[in-house]
Amino acid sequence: MTMPLDATRQAPASAGQSREADLAPAILEASGLTVGYGAPPPIVAGFDLTIRRGEFVGLLGESGCGKSTAAYALLGLARPPGRISAGRVAFKGQDLLTMPAARQREIRGKHIGLIVQNPRGALNPMLRVGRQIGNVWRAHNAGSATRAEEHAVEMLKLVGINDPKRRTEAFAHELSGGMAQRVLIAIALSSTPELLIADEPTSGLDVTIQAQLLDQMWQSTRRTHSSVLLITQETGIVANYCDRVLVMREGRIVEDMTAAAYRRAPRRSLLGAGNKAKTLATPGEDDQAAPVLAVDHVSRFFPVPGSTKRVQAVSDVSFDIAAGETLGLVGESGSGKTTVGRCLLRLIEPSEGRVLYRGEPLNTLGKTGMRRIRSKLQIVLQDPYDSLDPRWSILQTLSEPLKLHTDLSGAGRAKRVEELLAQVDLPKTVAALRPRDLGSGALQRINIARALACAPDFIVLDEPTSVLAPAARTSLVELLLRLQAELGVSFLFISHDLTTVSQICHRIAVMYLSQVVEVGTTEQVFRDPQHPYTRALLASHLDPHPEERRVDRAVQERLAGEIPSPIDLPKGCYLQSRCPHAVERCATEPQKLVRAADGRMLRCWRVLADELGGSDIPLVHDA
Amino acid sequence: MLLRYIGRRVAVSIVQLLGLVVVVFFLIRLMPADPVARLVGLNASKEAYAQASHSLGLDQPLLTQFLQYFGLDGRGGGLLEGHLGVSWVTNGSVLTEIGQTLPVTIQLLTLSFIITLLIAVPVGIAGASRPGGAFDRGVFVYGLFGGSQPEFWWGLMFIFVFFFKLGIAPAPLGLVNPMDMPSEPITGFILLDSLLRGEFDVFLDVLWHLALPTLTLVFILSGPIIKMVRQNMVRALGSDFVLYARAAGLRESTVTRYAFRIALAPALTLVGILYGVMLGGAVLVETVFSLGGIGQYAVRAVLAFDYPAIQGVVLVITSISLGIYLVLDLVYAVIDPRVARS
Repeated sequence: MTMPLDATRQAPASAGQSREADLAPAILEASGLTVGYGAPPPIVAGFDLTIRRGEFVGLLGESGCGKSTAAYALLGLARPPGRISAGRVAFKGQDLLTMPAARQREIRGKHIGLIVQNPRGALNPMLRVGRQIGNVWRAHNAGSATRAEEHAVEMLKLVGINDPKRRTEAFAHELSGGMAQRVLIAIALSSTPELLIADEPTSGLDVTIQAQLLDQMWQSTRRTHSSVLLITQETGIVANYCDRVLVMREGRIVEDMTAAAYRRAPRRSLLGAGNKAKTLATPGEDDQAAPVLAVDHVSRFFPVPGSTKRVQAVSDVSFDIAAGETLGLVGESGSGKTTVGRCLLRLIEPSEGRVLYRGEPLNTLGKTGMRRIRSKLQIVLQDPYDSLDPRWSILQTLSEPLKLHTDLSGAGRAKRVEELLAQVDLPKTVAALRPRDLGSGALQRINIARALACAPDFIVLDEPTSVLAPAARTSLVELLLRLQAELGVSFLFISHDLTTVSQICHRIAVMYLSQVVEVGTTEQVFRDPQHPYTRALLASHLDPHPEERRVDRAVQERLAGEIPSPIDLPKGCYLQSRCPHAVERCATEPQKLVRAADGRMLRCWRVLADELGGSDIPLVHDA
Repeated sequence: MLLRYIGRRVAVSIVQLLGLVVVVFFLIRLMPADPVARLVGLNASKEAYAQASHSLGLDQPLLTQFLQYFGLDGRGGGLLEGHLGVSWVTNGSVLTEIGQTLPVTIQLLTLSFIITLLIAVPVGIAGASRPGGAFDRGVFVYGLFGGSQPEFWWGLMFIFVFFFKLGIAPAPLGLVNPMDMPSEPITGFILLDSLLRGEFDVFLDVLWHLALPTLTLVFILSGPIIKMVRQNMVRALGSDFVLYARAAGLRESTVTRYAFRIALAPALTLVGILYGVMLGGAVLVETVFSLGGIGQYAVRAVLAFDYPAIQGVVLVITSISLGIYLVLDLVYAVIDPRVARS
């Protein structure tokens, strides 16, 4: 340790400090920190913060509030052409911004570790990751290149990478997002820093991987008594891991409270206070009526170029969607959700199986027949900006389907566009604007309005809320609920955001590695998940709980490793390699989707044989 | 894996070359030109004309000429056996003539590109370290100034200043002192040959004669290459992984190395393309300094409608360019592992 422990603790820089950790000495203090990119206003403006020894601090803020810029600024860095124009950062009382460059460099990486979002971009694309971990270690520790290699392997093992020796040979682009993030954690922790700054470390990762990573980080830092500053947009992460919560807005900290106080503050939650029960319309009562859409044993595979192998994107998926119903399709990325959505509309042709629209098989329809039905089956995609032609005005965009599918006159179309805008709560003046003039929330409403233009029966919503800020997400969910109640349209809602799914869906289908593993009502799936994958998925879901944190309780249901490649699928149950409940039989026996007595469909013989406990559902076989 | 890739690339290149030769063969014969009249003069008798036409083989049907050129007419001695034919103007073997002129150009270009890179890379990196600074702006002005004027003009200016005014450069009359008797070539590259023989005075003399043409080319070429290096370096220094490398406390030299490696690849591509272009395009500099390179040979062949020579030059320059691109792709793959896998 080169740094003297500062005995005379600085006074807290900002008001309203937490009382929990007041006695511990401050590790990092920032005051009045300001970072700008040329033109005013500065991105970070008068940023104050204090982190004490051993504290796990959450920094919550929406995108664009200056979180990432602040994270780098705490290390005395700014992305060019940005510049730290004012303020002070003290590491154990020493001013980080004015000390000599060599001293700064020593603190970065050795005493303060950093993890950022987009880990693959943060790794050098041209060097093997083992070398990169070794380079950072050697920049701060005396040791040979061989010792650095060994250390890299040790670090990768510590952050839970299987076969770490082989992984040191990998390049960044050969790693999955989760794996690359582990490498960054390995780099950040390689010199056992006293403070770890983690800037949205799990954004873009699946919930199961997110929980794995955060658990790992929590354990590693607790072991070394390091402090952590965890920067995130997700209230769930903050509520489940942190001791203290800071809220950032427009470049400065606006709130500072203990995590306990934060958790008790009123917030939405899974199957929560029942705002869903009020607004979720009940689908058509008539059970005998043909479903709007029936998916009948659909499979889709893609050949792998230059090989006889194939990617199994969808395996034998079947489900129905009734009029006015919303079916949620959830699962990790790579599980085949998007391919299913596209197969329904024949945007991708199924390799096997059929899709029936009101009893009529779509696969055998010709061009004209399909065009007739196209207007009834619509889709809304994930990225609202990319789904619109940037050169077209909103009027042109919304008129296009009307030109194709109706014989309205120009004036008729303009009138209909006004109706559509009103339906999605946008003023009619929006019609004259272009996509670049609108925010992503409004743009997604335009996409929904376009899908609604020809009064469809069914819309695939493919992750429509995933790029939206939390507030826009909530209002879009409310819009979709209202539209369904008014128009009786059916939705397939594809998402990995379980909170949103729980608010909007009547039934839920859980997909894992190309298969549907469980289908049930929202109540069944969220209150009493049965399939081991569903259980793990819900256990990974970081929903704020008023009383306790995830790290305060023992979590049983967790998956090991990552989703396997869909090219070489396991012989038996697809989950077997990651499942905490797997036994020998699981490795050899392929699993069938079977109906349980409570009406849900399940693909796990152990659950059906009631070997896992938790529920005693009498079973009948699916015809 | 690598050998298979190279093999496939070479095979594709050979097909491309054959196609090119076929196209060039017919295209030049479509020109509204009369190489026979060019050779015997407009006032020649009918008999003389016919005889010349016969000796060039131009009285034969096009297809026969084509087969003959490739050596497919049974008499052999065509392109497929490595013969480029005989020049109609000099009656010398085209292969031999190219063998004499090509090394001159390659020697000049290689020297120029090496010096250009030695200057452009550090200058580009220095400019990128402080974008918009005084040094960076100076380099920008130089790039505009140097690159916007033709190379022969700069060549003439340099001759005027360094030979005529200052008298420190040799007369622009070729690569060797006209009074010296040139030795029998070994490789054709005079610099290399003189070293192989141990004639250091000749080596230095040739370098002295190459100084002004090289200076001219370096002056022209360094502009775009500095700009490329600087631009890519600025982008690399602003990228996530460089910022992260700084945050991880890596030494500044390591960080610069990280960024430079990623900035290098596009600059090398530009060098390769410019090299290919300059093989034929160095003609102006060659002419100004009377070097007798491949560019001058090509111009002479075109003006004389010397079909075998034109075809030979096109074939050789294209082969070299394709070879350079192959080497570049391989180097690129070594620098950037992402390319190797895709």
